[in-house]
Amino acid sequence: MHREIRDHIEDVLRGSQPDAREHLAQCDECRTELQVMQEQTALIRELRAPEDFAADLRPGFYARVMERIEAEGPISIWNLFIESAFGRRIAVASLALALLIGVYLVTSERSAEDVTLAVQSQPAIMEQTIVLGEDAPAREITRVDQSQTDQSSEDAVLANLVTYREQ
Amino acid sequence: MDHKTSEEAALVRRVQARDEMAFREVVERYQSKVFSIIFGILRNRNDAEDIAQQVFAKVYFSIKNFDFRSSLLTWIYKITVNECYDYLRKKRVRKLVYESDFSQEDAQRMEASEPAVDGSVPADIRLAQRDLILKLLSKVSEEERSLILLKEVEGHSVEELAGMTGLNENTIKVKLFRTRQKLLRAAARLTRTR
Repeated sequence: MHREIRDHIEDVLRGSQPDAREHLAQCDECRTELQVMQEQTALIRELRAPEDFAADLRPGFYARVMERIEAEGPISIWNLFIESAFGRRIAVASLALALLIGVYLVTSERSAEDVTLAVQSQPAIMEQTIVLGEDAPAREITRVDQSQTDQSSEDAVLANLVTYREQ
Repeated sequence: MDHKTSEEAALVRRVQARDEMAFREVVERYQSKVFSIIFGILRNRNDAEDIAQQVFAKVYFSIKNFDFRSSLLTWIYKITVNECYDYLRKKRVRKLVYESDFSQEDAQRMEASEPAVDGSVPADIRLAQRDLILKLLSKVSEEERSLILLKEVEGHSVEELAGMTGLNENTIKVKLFRTRQKLLRAAARLTRTR
C-alpha cells in the first residue's frame, strides 16, 4: 500500500479523505487492499452485541464472582508450570537441561578420577637424588613420595641431612 | 489523560488494597459492559456469564499489576477479549462458532434453505464470516486485537484511543495500520491454503 493511502488509512476507511480518491483511481494495488480492509472492518463491526441485547445478568453475579475467587485462590507460581502448555514445556526443557548438566558433571568427574588413577598407577614414588658433592663418601638416595604433603617433604630433607651428618 | 488522579484511580487503589466494597463497585460498574463484549464476540449467552465471572476473577487477582497507564475499562476490555480467545481456543474455534451462534430465527431460516427475507446476508454465510474474522483476529497480538476491537466494535476514535491507552495518536495509527496489514496477510495465507 502506498504512502498516500497508508498515512491516512483510518480516514480513508471512514470515507473522509477525498484526496485519496485520485490515487485510488489510478492504483490497483491500493484499491484492492483497501477493499479487503473495508470488508474486514465491516466483519469486525459485526462483533458488536446487537442493539436490542439486554445485558442482564442473573441476580447474584457478584456473589458468584466471589465464590470463584475463593475457589481459585491466589495463583501459585507452580500453577503456571502445571496448568499451561507453555509452562509444561519450560518444565520439561528445564528437566532435560538439568539432566544434561548432571550427565556432564558425572562424566567429567569420572574422567578426572581416571587421570588421577593413571598418575597413581605410574611409579608412585619419584626418585630424588641429592648429590652431596664429589668428596662425599657415598651417595645418598632419598626417595620422596610425591603425593605426600609439603610437611613430609621437609621431613625427608631433614632425614637426609641427619643421615649425612652421621656419616 | 492522567489515569493516576481520577476518581477511578482512587477506586483502583482501594481494590489493590483488597477493599471488597471497592471491588464490588468495580464489578457492578462494568459487569454489563463485560457481558455485552463477550456476547458480541461469542453470541452465546450461557457461556458469556461464565466467562464474565472469570474476567472479574482475573481482575481481582491481577489488579495489583495495574499501572494506571490506561483507563480501567481499557484494561478490563483487554482481559475480556483475552478470556474470549482462551475460551475459543479451548473449545476449538470452528466447532464452537458454528454450534453456538444460532438464534431460533437463524435455525428456521437455514432449515427452510431460503435467503434472509430482509435482504441481509443469509445466516449460514454470516456464521462463516464470523468464524473467519475471529480466526483472522487470532493471528494478531493481544494488544493489536484489543485496539482494533476498541476502534471498530466500540467505535472509539483515534484520539479517544490515545487517551484511553496512554499512547500518542501517531502510535495508535501505526499500530492500527500494522494490525490491518497483518489481517490482510492472514487472509491471503488462508485463501492460499484453502
